[in-house]
Amino acid sequence: MNVLGWLLTELATYGYWLILAGVIATFCVRNSENRRQLVRVLLMAGGVIVGSIFLAAAYGKMKPLPGLDWSWASIQASIAFFAMQVESYQLLSPQGSNMLAHLLPFAELFLGLWLVSGIGRRFSGIVASLALSGFIIAIISAYLRGLKIDCGCGIGPPEQAGPAALLRDGLKFLLPALLVTVGAFWMRRQPRATPEGLQV
Amino acid sequence: MNQAFSRLLALSVFLLALAALTLVSRAQSAGSTKSDPPAKSATKKITGPSKGAAADTVAEGPINKSYGSRGAPIRLDVFTDYQCPSCRSFYEGTLKYLIASDYITNGKVYLVHHDFPLQAHTYSGLAARWANAAAKIGRFAEAEAALYDNQDAWQANGDIAKYIAAAMPPADFKRVEALVKGCESPAPQSTGDKSNPLAKDSRPCSFDYAVADDIELGYKVPVQATPTYVITNKGQKLPAGSGVVSWPILKQFFDSLLSQ
Repeated sequence: MNVLGWLLTELATYGYWLILAGVIATFCVRNSENRRQLVRVLLMAGGVIVGSIFLAAAYGKMKPLPGLDWSWASIQASIAFFAMQVESYQLLSPQGSNMLAHLLPFAELFLGLWLVSGIGRRFSGIVASLALSGFIIAIISAYLRGLKIDCGCGIGPPEQAGPAALLRDGLKFLLPALLVTVGAFWMRRQPRATPEGLQV
Repeated sequence: MNQAFSRLLALSVFLLALAALTLVSRAQSAGSTKSDPPAKSATKKITGPSKGAAADTVAEGPINKSYGSRGAPIRLDVFTDYQCPSCRSFYEGTLKYLIASDYITNGKVYLVHHDFPLQAHTYSGLAARWANAAAKIGRFAEAEAALYDNQDAWQANGDIAKYIAAAMPPADFKRVEALVKGCESPAPQSTGDKSNPLAKDSRPCSFDYAVADDIELGYKVPVQATPTYVITNKGQKLPAGSGVVSWPILKQFFDSLLSQ
């Protein structure tokens, strides 16, 4: 489980390079059919990478705290610890923070699996982009109010909410999600070849 | 495509059911939270003499700013500044309930206070000095409560003495006052460059060393804002957190650790 978590975290942390490289390569390909194929492959890879962001985030929030083994009780303890981080943003009431802390890891798990599956990628991309935008807004809010708190995203080591966390989350997470969404919509609009070879 | 969406629907229902199960179990523990004594009765009045302590026979001893048993499975180290509004909220909304709860009295949680007076707060170092002087004669709880309860009043002019005086017997206050008045050098505070808080202080009071030790410990955490808390569960230190945590949320976390 820890190996899987490590893999997801590494993919979430460095996968945006692949997406960015792929986008650049797309603009370099002149043949439209080759470009479509490249975008198709990139979308699959992008779905896995963006999905891994949410899966890694869910893993980071649910993984056992130091000294505890994997169990349902340890997951509950981790979520309770996450509730403290959510409350430190002072955006919600204690009850609201608690509810969000209990729902968010499972929502991230669902969204991650949805993105990886490739089903309805346009819609999963939109949801992912909105979710990441909301998270970035929360960090901005905390920073503007002078709160020095852990960003609580669950990916990588704890980091203070601030410009560094904003830059990281924007570049590494939101940008790939937006690119996957735009790519999915672009693919949808592309003409498809019929069995006889005629484009429609 | 229909098959794919059906599978997706089934997966989403399963995950939502999982989340609901968690919420239900949390609601059950929240029910036990709601059955806790209401705020007023849960708050002990600790601004007066401690029960069982004679009015003027509290001996001087080591500076003890902790609550509960050292052998408790959970240890909560809190770094605060007496002039910090968030620290006050943390104390009044959370620590006060913790101190009065059976988590402390039954040896479940060991609460340790550390001073981290910030340079931006003019009288925070002085307030820490009063608290440590009171701790030297075993009146830390009273002094801490008095400082936070009356923060708005004393932070305007630094007149802390009268609030400490109101929190303990006159004889004890005289001893605390004598300890504080004997200090001629500025009270230690945390510095932005993390240098020794006592470096420039040529003649610190004996309890200033306790404050300086707290500050240097805070640098190692590192404390970047107050309040900052570090929870240790059965010897395993958890990542430090900062900001105000409400009592129900903190209690929920303690319960989840104790149920492991």
